[in-house]
Amino acid sequence: MTENGAQLFARLKGRQSLKDIEPCIFPEDGGPSQGDVVEFHGTEGTGKTETLYHLVTQCILPAQCGGLEVEVIFIDTDYHFDMLRLVTVLEGRLSDSMEKRAEENETEEKVRSCLHRLSVVHCSSSVQLLFTLHYLENSFCCQPSLCLLVIDSISAFYWVDRSNGGESITRQEANLRKCVELLDRFRRDYGVAVFASTHAIMRNYTAASDATSECMTRSAVDFDKPYLCRAWQRIVTHRLLFSKRY
Amino acid sequence: MVVLKEGICPGLNEDMIKSLQAADIRTVEDFVSSDTEDLAQKCSLSYKALVAVRRVLLAQHAAFPVSSADLYEELLSSTAILSTGNPSLDKLLDTGLYTGEITELTGAPGSGKTQVCFSVAVNVAYVLKQSVMFIDTNGGACANRLLQMLQAKSSNKAEQMEALERIRVFRVFDVFSLLTSLHGLRTDIQRQASAGGGSVKLVIVDSVSAVLAHTLGAKQSEGMSLMMQVAGMLKTIAKDFNIAVLVTNHAVRDGNGRFKAGLGQSWSHVPRTRVLLQPVESPGNSSRSLRSATLTKSSRQACHQVEVFDLSSSGLSEDKGNSGKRKLDDLKL
Repeated sequence: MTENGAQLFARLKGRQSLKDIEPCIFPEDGGPSQGDVVEFHGTEGTGKTETLYHLVTQCILPAQCGGLEVEVIFIDTDYHFDMLRLVTVLEGRLSDSMEKRAEENETEEKVRSCLHRLSVVHCSSSVQLLFTLHYLENSFCCQPSLCLLVIDSISAFYWVDRSNGGESITRQEANLRKCVELLDRFRRDYGVAVFASTHAIMRNYTAASDATSECMTRSAVDFDKPYLCRAWQRIVTHRLLFSKRY
Repeated sequence: MVVLKEGICPGLNEDMIKSLQAADIRTVEDFVSSDTEDLAQKCSLSYKALVAVRRVLLAQHAAFPVSSADLYEELLSSTAILSTGNPSLDKLLDTGLYTGEITELTGAPGSGKTQVCFSVAVNVAYVLKQSVMFIDTNGGACANRLLQMLQAKSSNKAEQMEALERIRVFRVFDVFSLLTSLHGLRTDIQRQASAGGGSVKLVIVDSVSAVLAHTLGAKQSEGMSLMMQVAGMLKTIAKDFNIAVLVTNHAVRDGNGRFKAGLGQSWSHVPRTRVLLQPVESPGNSSRSLRSATLTKSSRQACHQVEVFDLSSSGLSEDKGNSGKRKLDDLKL
């Protein structure tokens, strides 16, 4: 492989930090930096995917529109990636930052140029997810502008894997553990940030009642139990709990 | 799990597999996850050959990233919105059932889920002239009712028969036959796609809970796994072949006495859009066919919108110039 001086410099300089990606969500100076793993955990309809769309938009928007102008890979394991919704969010942000009299087709072109920074992969099994991550390693290695990997969701294959693995928990978790090991390497060696959502599907029967602080609604506490494999719990650096308030 | 065996990949010969097995590498997952350099030393195989095999195996099994600009382009040309023929439902669903997505109708018994499915099937088959696959899991599919709805739309016998022929009804009573019929649909479509024939645009499963609910329970993970396999099948069929999927689900009351969809937390993530049907109880009104539809999950519209419609006319009402199948380009995004 050959590269020119500019590419070499870009590679050695490291990736852009996502620290300022969303001050409304992450505390000041607490945003995800290179190699951080953020988990978005919540029950159905609490806005995990919607939040991911906003964060992805923030990443792929050009710098002149207040974005970070970096590349993103989105792995859709739930098969519910909604391109139209993402484009709606993107258009909203673009028209906010552009002058009112911007031409229609100018916006269209801007949207397209933003979308070129986002790649989407659909995976239908944990084995396929593992192969896909291996396949993507090369992209992380040679594209320094690729800063963020989004997995929506990493818990999609939990039940199928659990049943396929028989009695042994090690075998039930084998595929996910291998995926996580790989994610850990991407994180460490290439400084890629990872955002992954997990479905809150396990009820937390042992939740102590005093844990119900005012800022948390009942359902968030009920379902905040981590159930994915240990290896995953270990690499998560930020965990966001989502809940609905009626 | 993909077992390493001869013939799955050029360059992977028997001797290579034997030496890999000696190092406890039996599956493709093991192979791609281990360090190729280590493997070459441990099994005394050619590093170059191993790298080549690994590359081919990954290309065979991985999913490939697609630029979202291309995806958007493709989506604009391939997505269709199937009108349900019911203006109130269309309003909630943002003009109809979107291809590539799963839409769920939920409600207590007698809330009209099956009737709505019938009227959607009739509308898609008669007005939009598209094929429908109707999977009936509780014996509720009734040809007479379908015909009755068609008769209200047209008095022409030939047209009625033509529309009925577009609705294929499958009776399945357990989750395994459901999976088999979905597999069958997949192979059918793949064969038709190569032959260039017209294919199914709408799959209706009435109801998913009838075959799934009883598999959940004591031996939890097995039932859950079956449920997620059904979900996976429906989702991939919807996405890969641009089909709209409509499923019905029972409703249960949550802790606060509100209705929510059945089948638990794991299933709740599966449908993209969910509508809750409820009978409308009003003392002055003798009509028992009024239903309210509440949007409880959607990524396009504000949730908790309510529309009221009359069930007895839902399949019978005149089609008042509904545009039917509309291309996305016509929509304001």
